[in-house]
Amino acid sequence: MTVNLAINGDASTYEGDPRTSLLDVLRNHFRLTGTKAVCGEGFCGACTVHVNGKPIMACLQPIGVLDGAEVTTIEGIAPLDELNAVQQAFEDFDVVQCGMCFPGMVMSLSAFLKENPNPERDEVKSAMTGNICRCTGYERIIDALMSVQGLEQVSSQKSEKVTS
Amino acid sequence: MSGKFNSNSAVMNFPRRDSQDKLRGRTKYTVDMENSDVLHAALLRAEIPSARLISIDTSEAKKMPGVKAIATHLDAPGLHGIGISDHPIFAGDVVRYHGEPIAAVAALTKAQAEAAAAAIKVTFEQDDAVLTMEDALSIDAPLVHPDWENYEILFDGAARGGNIAWEATVQRGDTNAAFCRDDVTIVEGCYRVGRQSHVPFEPRAVVASFEDGRYHIQTSTQVPWTVRHVTAKVLGIPEAQVQVTVPAVGGGFGLKFDCSLEPYAAILAKKSGRSVSLYNSRREEQMTCLCRENAEIRLRSAVTKEGEIVGREATVLMDCGAYGGEQVFLTSMTAHTLGGNYKLGSVRISSRAIYTNTPPNGAFRACNGVYNTFALERHTDEICSAIGMDQIEFRRRNVIGNGDIGATGQVFEGDVLRPMLEQLLEKYPIGDTQEVLPDGRLFGRATTVGTWFIFVGPSAATVNLNADGSATLVTSGVEIGSGTMMQSLPQMVAASLGLHPSDVIVKTADTDASGRDLGVGGGRTTVSIGAASMAACEEVREKLLSVASQMLQTKAEDLVLKNGRIEIKDRPGSGATIQTVAQQAELDFGPISGSGAFTNPGVKAMPGCASGHFIEAIDIPVFAVHDCEVAVDPDTGHVEVLSYRIIQDVGRALNPRAIHGQIQGGIVQGLGYALQEEITINADGAFDQTGFETYRLPLAGDVLPIDFELFEGAPSCGPLGTKGAGEVPILNVGASIACAVANATGKAVSELPLTPPRVLALLDDDGYTGLSLTHISSEWHKNTLGRTSSY
Ligand code: FES
Ligand code: FES
Repeated sequence: MTVNLAINGDASTYEGDPRTSLLDVLRNHFRLTGTKAVCGEGFCGACTVHVNGKPIMACLQPIGVLDGAEVTTIEGIAPLDELNAVQQAFEDFDVVQCGMCFPGMVMSLSAFLKENPNPERDEVKSAMTGNICRCTGYERIIDALMSVQGLEQVSSQKSEKVTS
Repeated sequence: MSGKFNSNSAVMNFPRRDSQDKLRGRTKYTVDMENSDVLHAALLRAEIPSARLISIDTSEAKKMPGVKAIATHLDAPGLHGIGISDHPIFAGDVVRYHGEPIAAVAALTKAQAEAAAAAIKVTFEQDDAVLTMEDALSIDAPLVHPDWENYEILFDGAARGGNIAWEATVQRGDTNAAFCRDDVTIVEGCYRVGRQSHVPFEPRAVVASFEDGRYHIQTSTQVPWTVRHVTAKVLGIPEAQVQVTVPAVGGGFGLKFDCSLEPYAAILAKKSGRSVSLYNSRREEQMTCLCRENAEIRLRSAVTKEGEIVGREATVLMDCGAYGGEQVFLTSMTAHTLGGNYKLGSVRISSRAIYTNTPPNGAFRACNGVYNTFALERHTDEICSAIGMDQIEFRRRNVIGNGDIGATGQVFEGDVLRPMLEQLLEKYPIGDTQEVLPDGRLFGRATTVGTWFIFVGPSAATVNLNADGSATLVTSGVEIGSGTMMQSLPQMVAASLGLHPSDVIVKTADTDASGRDLGVGGGRTTVSIGAASMAACEEVREKLLSVASQMLQTKAEDLVLKNGRIEIKDRPGSGATIQTVAQQAELDFGPISGSGAFTNPGVKAMPGCASGHFIEAIDIPVFAVHDCEVAVDPDTGHVEVLSYRIIQDVGRALNPRAIHGQIQGGIVQGLGYALQEEITINADGAFDQTGFETYRLPLAGDVLPIDFELFEGAPSCGPLGTKGAGEVPILNVGASIACAVANATGKAVSELPLTPPRVLALLDDDGYTGLSLTHISSEWHKNTLGRTSSY
């Protein structure tokens, strides 16, 4: 089967089994390895991408139904050499550890903040329930997100800057 | 030594340089390295726990589409192990655990490799399996290793026999006399814990190739030199034929402290003439996780009414699974955790690694320290109840301090635990403890102490000073996520050389470029690799200063390195840039570099105290005081953690913000262990928890912000007074939660994890007085083989 879709703005064509997951297509076919395969069964959120602007778990999404879709992956969430507001906050608060969960975190939470520009801490916590992290214990990620007020102000946001 | 530097300049919240690309999805982990030219590999694994293999027929599989190479035990004759060589990488004649590899296949696609693996015909005769330690220790138990006596011994001095893979014992003082005193109360308790799975988000993974007569292994490991050694040993080739390089590692927590998939990929690469990628599916990763082992413990103490512990006897059974592995080594650590924390008049400890037909276990952040501390702190509170002493008062009186001796007779230096305990209590005074909250839940608080160690041992480092004034640090250190290679190491090098840490390039691990190292784990990176790096910097400084001394016509001791310049002391702007001096050095005698090494030869035990111990005493003890409040729902058994606060001994905090990250992350892993992460083993010898649905990791909604203070200034032989800070946060989480739940419910909490069903069962059992483990004798000597046993 042939599927035509846009990946990070590039017109792309996939030919093959329509049951293959979007995750496998991104990673193996297009070699976009920023989207991580962790649990493979919809529990961890590491594979989150945007399809037509909505966050979905790519491991559960068969490619066959995505003809004409616009897919944004972590590689396309911000212009080259820029970070979006969420990425910038994570960077400023030094919350990244092994990093494997972060592409999915960034994708889920960027979408969440777009819908809820000024969330309460509890709302951020609930929104993060679908993104598992084994390294960080979450709370500092939430601290970072709470510093982002209004997604429009994005990449200029700097909070806990480097002290040296 | 010429010109001291201000070590405070090493302290800063320097951000990690790898975070931006991790946030953009650009970082290439080993699992991301399957370029178009690699072959894909799959393993055929046993699906029974114990069997004799009669034949392995690969002839049909070889003919299947896309198949390029198949490997079996015939390709890897050697055995490896820690302490004992008992572990083949493929089951040849015998299957010893569910999930044990029998064959490996490389093919053009992963699906082809999996199909061919499934087509290999294996005939076998199933044997009786021993799945529990109790079974393994029964008189007529089948032996997991009938040939145990013929294995190569790599470390002498331990008692072994049958299903007892390793036994380490401690005997200091006369415990018999202590227990016979008429002024003591004898308190006895049994404790049990299950396994904990690391669940690193990047599974174990490798890409191997064979070029110019050598194997190149790119792998997700914490121990490049162990991978080099073990691969060579099992393949029966010289170690020099193996190069190991390590890209960014997506989480380790100790799981990757052993060689794992690397030899399979190496063999297939040579047989196929192609690069081969092999990684575990999530299911395989879970089912063969080298977990924190399940353990069973009996503690017995003789205590006076003033709270003096005059005698203690302990027996710890650690399940090593089918092969000895890390548990053999970790038997040593029982002495230093159960024998840490408190002053003991006399002590006997038997620490045994037991073979079972279950997947092998491994190392996991603070290893057996976590459950030994759980058992010890629960036992301590049971002692307090028995003698009628306040839990805090007992700890105040008994925690080890300056000059006190540990289980194996080592003398502790400095008062650390007591001031840490006071610091915590001052910040969080013990108030009126309400027993029932307004919503009907049971309230409990507990304060616990913990003793662990920093694993030292050999490290090497080279520092090259580049002509542009930057420096390159070459070590075998691996960035597993903790940030040490990104933060504390460049900070130290920069401080020593008067550079900014961003001017220090950190080379990723490559056994062809960097010297030998024990690996990243056990809190040793900052300490051991750090000390080697500082020694290398010292040589660079000497050379730089001698050239600058000529250039500036000033004695070396009057020069300082700062902000990328070498200045005459107290005369800013008087000197030259490091770049200029480096270039002058090139003209005079060539480029500047330095090499450094570190090890600590090991503190010794009191003669005759310890046998079978890899580590007789601890070089760098590290202490923790934890405190938590819980609410237990009597209707559901759910435990909510209301507060969690700690004082952590870090020696010296080089990057406090990064340490905060380790504390938050480590304690949450401990909360998972204490409350929800559970592995059960079924009749097939396999784990019931095969993935994220059944193995319950803490989610964002399960956690809380950890309140912490760092305790600085305790003695440490680490560079700049550091101790590792990433390993220890998890140490007494199980202990604290268990003690708080016991205080809330008034029940004998003897098992972890405290899942709602387990808590409900505790609450419902009116007569419950604790666990009874009949296979560990109350008579201590019956739990030993004896020092010269022939079994
Ligand atoms: S990999 Fe898709 S949710 Fe975990
Ligand atoms: S940073 Fe490692 S899984 Fe989140």
